[in-house]
Amino acid sequence: MATLMSGTLLPPARETRLLVIKWVIALLVPLLVFTFVWNGEAAINQIIVGLFIHNSTLGSRYDWTTLIGATIFFVLFYGLLTALAGYAVAADSGRQNPIMLWISMVVFTVVPIVLISIVNDLFVGISFSVLVWVPYFLILRFWHRSRPAVASALPRLTPLNSEEQASLVRRAIAGGFWFGLTFAVLSLVVDLIYFFSGQYGTDSGILLIWIVLRTVLLPLAGYFLGRLSGGLALRHTLKANGKKAQSSKEAIDPRLNPSLLTGLSASRSREEARDLVPNDAPLNSSGARNFYLVLLFAFLLCYPMIDPLLFGPGTEGRLSLYGDAGRYVILALGLNIVVGFAGLLDLGYVAFFVFGAYTWALVGSPQLTVLTGLVSDPHIWSWLFWPMVLVAALIAALWGVLLGAPTLRLRGDYLAIVTLGFGEIIPIIAQNMDKYTGGTNGLSGIYSPAFFGVQWNVSTPMPYYYLMLFLVALVLFANVRLRDSRLGRSWIAIREDEIAAASSGINLVKTKLFAFGAGAFFSGIAGAYFAAKLSTVASSNFSFTDSVLYLSMVVLGGLGSIPGVVVGALAVYAINVLVLAGLDNIGSDPASFLHPGYAQLQALFPNFSFGNIRNLIFGIILILIMIYRPEGLIPSARRRRELHHQAKEDEEVEVGALDATPGSAEFEKEVRVE
Amino acid sequence: MSLFLGLLAAGLAIGSIYALVSLGYTMVYGIIELINFAHGDIFMIGSLVVLGMLINVFHVTEASHLSGLPLIVVLVVTCVVAMLICAVLGVVIERFAYRPLRNAPRLAPLISAIGVSLILEDIGKFIIGPANASAPDVLPRIHYCIGPTDPNQGCLGMDITNIQILVIVVAVILMVALQWLVTSTRIGRAMRAVAQDREAAALMGVNVDRIIAITFLIGGALAGAGAFIFMLSVGVTIFNIGFELGLFAFTAAVLGGIGNLVGAMLGGMVIGLIRALVTYIPDKDIPFGLPHGGVAWQDAIVFVVLILILLFRPTGLLGQRLSEKV
Repeated sequence: MATLMSGTLLPPARETRLLVIKWVIALLVPLLVFTFVWNGEAAINQIIVGLFIHNSTLGSRYDWTTLIGATIFFVLFYGLLTALAGYAVAADSGRQNPIMLWISMVVFTVVPIVLISIVNDLFVGISFSVLVWVPYFLILRFWHRSRPAVASALPRLTPLNSEEQASLVRRAIAGGFWFGLTFAVLSLVVDLIYFFSGQYGTDSGILLIWIVLRTVLLPLAGYFLGRLSGGLALRHTLKANGKKAQSSKEAIDPRLNPSLLTGLSASRSREEARDLVPNDAPLNSSGARNFYLVLLFAFLLCYPMIDPLLFGPGTEGRLSLYGDAGRYVILALGLNIVVGFAGLLDLGYVAFFVFGAYTWALVGSPQLTVLTGLVSDPHIWSWLFWPMVLVAALIAALWGVLLGAPTLRLRGDYLAIVTLGFGEIIPIIAQNMDKYTGGTNGLSGIYSPAFFGVQWNVSTPMPYYYLMLFLVALVLFANVRLRDSRLGRSWIAIREDEIAAASSGINLVKTKLFAFGAGAFFSGIAGAYFAAKLSTVASSNFSFTDSVLYLSMVVLGGLGSIPGVVVGALAVYAINVLVLAGLDNIGSDPASFLHPGYAQLQALFPNFSFGNIRNLIFGIILILIMIYRPEGLIPSARRRRELHHQAKEDEEVEVGALDATPGSAEFEKEVRVE
Repeated sequence: MSLFLGLLAAGLAIGSIYALVSLGYTMVYGIIELINFAHGDIFMIGSLVVLGMLINVFHVTEASHLSGLPLIVVLVVTCVVAMLICAVLGVVIERFAYRPLRNAPRLAPLISAIGVSLILEDIGKFIIGPANASAPDVLPRIHYCIGPTDPNQGCLGMDITNIQILVIVVAVILMVALQWLVTSTRIGRAMRAVAQDREAAALMGVNVDRIIAITFLIGGALAGAGAFIFMLSVGVTIFNIGFELGLFAFTAAVLGGIGNLVGAMLGGMVIGLIRALVTYIPDKDIPFGLPHGGVAWQDAIVFVVLILILLFRPTGLLGQRLSEKV
């Protein structure tokens, strides 16, 4: 193991073997837990049987689309993990201790899988595992700080020649191949045990064919996937170390000149060195992130199809809930523009949501007949949903500008109160003008959207889930482009210092109004979706509590950081809606492990349930996060440094703070003004 | 005319309650520049305390017919206990939710205040459930008439009840006491100093932490007293009464000039009057009335007033924020 710490770039063959062992074990253990402890194996068996045998007991309850979608997902899943194994072996510099890696993998992947399988509820399982992760993370950080900082020798940095490049790819191939082979052998053993104990019953013929096929194909797939990921790792390493052909770069490029690095402070030079060699933590690297993103994308797209296989019945209800989460994501992203980018504290954001919802409600429902006398045929009128989303968004944006105009001269707290006032007035108007809006009972019978060949009404959550995915993708794309645009940068400038921004030629009025308008635009989109999905809107759906909820999503996630806001929205939604309801379900289920404690609590406090104390828990979480982590869950790097500036100079810089090599594209992204 | 005067009396009564609560808001804002969203919920907890005292401790019911010394004892003890508990609650909230965030950027204590508000509302919901809870009538309702009386039409002047008079009198006494405290005592001087310039006050030997705690204490006590007279006059409470009432009280504080005590009192009265007079608007369509009548639009009108004030006179009626704070 000591030779692993030498820090040279391309260790000889023995090191390769050790690296392969390290990564194969690290990635194989969670995969085996998922496949054999949880439902992975059962799911695949059901898919195979369902695809080929139609009247068996095992697989016949799922239809074609479910099976094909699940097949695609599982192929991608196992393939990506194999490729990741190859990538990690190639990208690893060998400095990280394998034991630490294995412990981290167990804590971060095995623990949630086990917990989810125990409680059989995705979000309750994740929240329990968060309870495990937080102390682990704190212990790890404490331990890192208590150890004396060892200044490791900087490696010799030279561009890679073709032999070194080839050996890099060979490492990746070795990693992928051995991963595939080991997994195939192990699952062969387990399946033979199942087979000979007769668990497969009448379907065993087809499953035997599948087992043999798998044992042959997996190592082959490992070889090719390893080759692919080796190419990817090679590209990243070349970007980090410079290509040989460009000799002029050698003189100027400080990364290739170690003596320049010695002029920096000790922590900074450690940071630079770590960035320059293939990663100390390959799983955090940008190359690995590509794998995660593809996996996440496949997971989201295929989720309706794998959910019945993983969690059993009740898919429709779960899909409906998760689709709702997307609405909160869109709202949080819109509020992020106003509060996060432009720094205008908006406490009445729900007003724009109301506009969006009522726009589609007034046009796409029998209320239109009441108001204007036009008779609308539901089948044709439903197609109007798609342009009306845009119209609703534009109307909401218009009102955003109108309601934002009075606030332009106000600062901070007064702005908050005025927006709060608007957020209260608009629902009251909606409630009282019941000739148009239906008052407290609201409008019902709102049409769902129409699409080719899709049966779409209020009780089919799956089309709404895909619609929500599409809308979230659109809104995310728009937000990222807005943030990187000139307008986005002027918002950030206004947030940081208004006077300086005005002195730099930014038109304050126009930019602030644009911020309100853009933020309201996205809430209009969410409003139209909400009206269509719920098929009714009533003024009691909107209140200040919702505004507070959206604001807390943005603040908890990290003001101004788009991934942070998405995660914050999902976390707040999970806490508020999913986790507590899930805990209630588990607690009242007599067979679960929570039941005794739950029953006792209910005996003590007569009307106790987790749903009832939702606000209590949420308030406590808000206060704790404001005291201990005010920058949010995924803050932008700038804000983290701003809020924790007491962090000592000689301390280890956080791994996540500067992950990209200086001068590369990702580095520019890291230090952008945000 | 008598209807109008009657509404005037009712408006002054409810306005006094708003004034008491808004004093808490304005003092806290003047001293640490924080909108204390939880203050309205301290009021709500105070009303729960009054409810508990009347029903569980003194066992007052409709048929009790207290009078004389027992009545005075019940009222005074209830009021004092409510004020004490709310004062302590205010100090505890400041100590745990606001003091760690003293130096954080503006958004953090605001979110923390919202968190405290959520917690208190849930505790209230836990104690009395989600529905209204009403207090028994302790004082008999006696109507007085200021002005001529007509045997056929009743009172032609101002029709005021003894409870309304009591409310206004208690509120005025407390406000005068607070004004005396702030202007004529050492603690009051220290409070004004901390509001003006925290660091300079610390340099002059003022214990800033203690003064801020005392501010929250006084604000809480006033909210408790407001809750007491609220339960006497209106008599009905619900777990989320704190939020809206707090908002109106903050509007009152802004109306009078934030940081200005007399302004808060004045603003409270004005907001109460506006709310009462708006109910006069008939239930007709837009040009001549409002749909569902003025009663349904009371809240919206108050917010419109707030927005107009902030647009056209952001320093409030009496405020000169830059030169003098309290």
